[in-house]
Amino acid sequence: MHIYIYDNPLSQKKYDKILAKIETKITDLGLNGRIIRLGPMNSVFNAVENEIKKGAKTIVSVGSDNLFSQVLNSVAMLKAKNIYNNNLPMGIIPIGKENNDIAHCLGINSEEEACNILSARRIQQLDIGQANYNYFLGQAIISTKNTVMVIDDEYTLESNDEGEIRVINLPIKNKDVPESDVNAVDNQLQLLILSHNNKKIISRKKNKYNLFRFKKLVILNKNEPVIIDGSFKITTPVEIKIAKEKINLIVGRNRKF
Amino acid sequence: MFNKDSKEIITKQAETIIGPQIKVKGNFHGQGNVTIEGSVEGDIKTTSFLLVGDKAVINANIEAKDAKISGETKGNIKISGYLEITSSAKITGDIEALELSIEKGALLNGNCLMNKNKIATSPTNS
Repeated sequence: MHIYIYDNPLSQKKYDKILAKIETKITDLGLNGRIIRLGPMNSVFNAVENEIKKGAKTIVSVGSDNLFSQVLNSVAMLKAKNIYNNNLPMGIIPIGKENNDIAHCLGINSEEEACNILSARRIQQLDIGQANYNYFLGQAIISTKNTVMVIDDEYTLESNDEGEIRVINLPIKNKDVPESDVNAVDNQLQLLILSHNNKKIISRKKNKYNLFRFKKLVILNKNEPVIIDGSFKITTPVEIKIAKEKINLIVGRNRKF
Repeated sequence: MFNKDSKEIITKQAETIIGPQIKVKGNFHGQGNVTIEGSVEGDIKTTSFLLVGDKAVINANIEAKDAKISGETKGNIKISGYLEITSSAKITGDIEALELSIEKGALLNGNCLMNKNKIATSPTNS
C-alpha cells in the first residue's frame, strides 16, 4: 500500500485545492493509499515506523525538503536498527516552488508530474550520507570561519578565506560542481570548499575551488553548526561518512544525476 | 611517455584540488591526480600525477608517480616516473626520479638520484 505523509503546514486551508487535485490524480492512476496528516505533536519517525510494520510498500512525502529529510532519516534509522530489511521505495510530491530542491534534483518539478512519476515507478538505489546519527541525501554545509576538518584521521584542513564548506552526496543546488563528479551512486562523498571571494568566478579549469574525496570527515567548529539538506542543524564535532544503508527512491526521467 | 598535452588533461581531471587559501597538515595520501596551490605540512603521497602550483608552499616529503613542480618545496621528492621542475620552483631536499627535466631559473638544493633499478622498486600504492 502507498502511504502518503502530508507535511504539517498542509493542514492550512490554502492547500485544500491542490491536495484535492493530487488525491484525484492519485486515484485516477490507481495509486490510492493511506494518508497520514502530521500535526505539530506528531512524530514522523513514529508514523513511518507504524506504517512499515503494517506493511507499507511505498512511502511518499508530500510537502517540502524538510519533510522528505525527516522521512529519509526515519527510513534509514529503521533500516540501521534492522526493523526492516526490504528495499522500501520512497517517493516525493513537492508542494509549491519553494524549498523543494531535492524533488527538483530528482526530476520532479510539479505536483502532477510527481504523481505520474510515482505511477511510472522508476526506482533508483542511492547512497546517503551520515552526519553523526542523521542522514542526508544532498549535502552538509558549514562556514569556513573557524572550521577545522580532520580527514580520514590522517590530515587536517583549514581555509584562510571566508566561505562555505560543502560535503556533497548529490548535487542539489550546486551549480559549482560538475554534475558527473557527484552522483550518489559511487559510494563516495565529495568535499568542496568555496571561497566567497571567488564564488562567482568558479570554474573547474581555473581551479578556483578545493575538492577532496574521503572516507571519513570530522568537522570541528565551536561556534557554528553543520546544516544538513537545508533542514537540520547539528552541533560539532560532526563525523560525516557514507552510510551503510542505501535508499530506494522513485525518480523522474529528467533527474540531474 | 608524458607529453605536454597529456599533462594538461591530467590536471583538469584532478580528483583533489587544494586551492591557495587552504592549509593542510598531516599525511595526505591520494590515489588520483592531485593539484596543490595552497600550503601543506606533512607527507604527500599519490599513485598518480601531482601538480604543485607556483604559489604553493610545501613542507613535506613527496611521493608520486609523475609530478610537475612550480612552487616552493622543502622535503625529499620521490617520483617513480617523470618529474618536471619549472623555472619558478624552489626545491630544498633530495630528489629521485626515473626521468627528469629542470627548466632554467629553477632552484634546487639537494641531491639528485636517477637510478632506474631503485626507482622501479618504489611504487606508491600505499
